[in-house]
Amino acid sequence: MLRGLAGEASAHGELLTLMSRYLRGYFGRRLGAGTADMEDLVQDTLLAIHLKRETYDPAQPFTPWAYMLARYKLLDHFRRQGARTMVPLEDAGALFATENAEEGAVRRDLGKLLGGLPAHQSQLLQDVKLTGLSMEEAAAKSGMSVSAVKVSVHRGLKSMAKRVRDADG
Amino acid sequence: MRTDELIGVLAGAVEPIPPGRVQGRLLLACLAGVLGAAALVFGILGLKHDFPRVMLTAPFWMKPAYTTWFAVGAFMLVDRAGRPGAKATTGRLVLVGALAAIACLAAINLVFTPPQMRMHAMMGLSARLCPIAIIVSAIPALVAVLIVLRGMAPTRLTHAGMAAGLLAGGVGASVYALWCRESTAAFVAVWYTLGIVACGGIGALLGPLVLRW
Repeated sequence: MLRGLAGEASAHGELLTLMSRYLRGYFGRRLGAGTADMEDLVQDTLLAIHLKRETYDPAQPFTPWAYMLARYKLLDHFRRQGARTMVPLEDAGALFATENAEEGAVRRDLGKLLGGLPAHQSQLLQDVKLTGLSMEEAAAKSGMSVSAVKVSVHRGLKSMAKRVRDADG
Repeated sequence: MRTDELIGVLAGAVEPIPPGRVQGRLLLACLAGVLGAAALVFGILGLKHDFPRVMLTAPFWMKPAYTTWFAVGAFMLVDRAGRPGAKATTGRLVLVGALAAIACLAAINLVFTPPQMRMHAMMGLSARLCPIAIIVSAIPALVAVLIVLRGMAPTRLTHAGMAAGLLAGGVGASVYALWCRESTAAFVAVWYTLGIVACGGIGALLGPLVLRW
């Protein structure tokens, strides 16, 4: 995004291609995949990302910005349609699916945050919070004592939260 | 059009975006608002002859200081409101700071006023005119700020409209303050704030109607 803002056409194209994939997932889950509306919304949002790119503040994380644009376009779509589309109950599971494109975008920001931590701390956080190992399993894996793991995870979360707050302030 | 074609077209059309371009446009809108308000205030109400003399007194500057401070906070809110997903903590703090400062001044002002004079300090001579004059002086700024804001990407329209209204109110009030001859902090705390907040309310009502993009 930053390189696109600086006027680099290839970086901008890459970003839009990447976003089109995320957006297709995002709208697909809410409107049903492969519908014409979905592709329209993807294009609408890409256009918005392009036209409104000057409102992206480089000091802020990129994902929430793009996500709010997509959400705005989606709400706009519902409003124009004049009726709320109901999600059939059988499809509700998809809303809670663990693997999806949106999460991929979040994970990108998360990866950046984790990268700022000391290596062992970020490894422990990934094991305990993302992979879902228990404290005992993580301790055995890293060769640390259980209480040391707990302290380390706690400190890691705290410093990540601080960084997010600082970035928002 | 197919999506990858669209991407190709868009990627071919990038020009660099200088940082701060949005704020620059917003600032320009405020400037236009100041000029518009000055034309309205001095055009309708006329210039006063004691201008050079009152310009040297402290109470005279208290009013534009308060309203400009308020406008700075509202400016930050508008800037944030036009950027999806951005938080507006600083702007809110600045606004609360302005309100707290004028409330303190007003309290001190009233404590040192003899009881039978307090009502007069609060109402002054132009309590009826003041909020209405502020709303009218805020109109040019409101129009300009809303236009700029629509060119940004507001996603919560009522909220964004309110921020725009507060900013316009602050700008309009700062200009009207140059004409106004009230000098008590109590008056400013009540009637100026009322006028600006009313502008915020008008902005909040207009937001969903005019800010759609």
